[in-house]
Amino acid sequence: MGCCYSFFCKDENSSQTGDVNERTHLLIDPVSNNSNVQRVNSEDILSRNPNILPKKTDEQSALTRILQETAANVIDVAALGTHNLQQHDYLERMKLYNVRVQQILNNSRHKFNKKGNCILQDIPNPEKVLNCDPIAAEDLNLIISAVAGASAAISDIKVDHKEDLVVPFGLLNS
Amino acid sequence: MEKKLETVMEELITRPGVIGCIFADHQGLCLGVKGKASTESAGIIHAMAEEAARLEPKSKPPVILLENDNRSCILTTTGTLTGAIFKSLN
Repeated sequence: MGCCYSFFCKDENSSQTGDVNERTHLLIDPVSNNSNVQRVNSEDILSRNPNILPKKTDEQSALTRILQETAANVIDVAALGTHNLQQHDYLERMKLYNVRVQQILNNSRHKFNKKGNCILQDIPNPEKVLNCDPIAAEDLNLIISAVAGASAAISDIKVDHKEDLVVPFGLLNS
Repeated sequence: MEKKLETVMEELITRPGVIGCIFADHQGLCLGVKGKASTESAGIIHAMAEEAARLEPKSKPPVILLENDNRSCILTTTGTLTGAIFKSLN
């Protein structure tokens, strides 16, 4: 997590002070350190092949150049070795990150609480409500008779027209 | 024209405990209201009855009782008509 984030953050101060935190670069910047890597590797190759050293042909120099370019682009993770995390380091960082996450959650908690206005809410003793009678017989009869009466009343509704539906505008003048 | 419905509602709110009643059509539009009931609740009442009836489509339309500490609302539907009665529990 620290590695991914530090790649994008341009805070060079934090990595140069030597303090290890979540923003410390896990890998040293390869661009600023590639000269050392390049030199070591090229000397390595030359010492292994001393017989071809005196007669430097064009082919030889071309190969050396390719080798140097390749070495310049290689990040030797094992050679860097500055951030070998031990088990307790992992645990410490885990605690630290958990604390940070909790802080952020606490700061933004009031945003979530704004949405908490529900019409329906939990009740303390649900068994009390669930045990009682679903509906009183009196109420049941009341609503059934009321709806039946209203239904009958509505079925009686009919439009009785008292005037003509079609009015002949302007026909009288012609 | 709607005098019969008016009569039914007037008779209804004279019952003990009843403080209001409302009737809605199959689209949730208010057909009539009496007492302490809002015409705006017609759509909600119809929607609740419709949703509850969807739980058991083969059974006849259910009677729903909503209740809090001091009031209750009983609603049911028959045919295209949905009716609700508001009662005071005090």
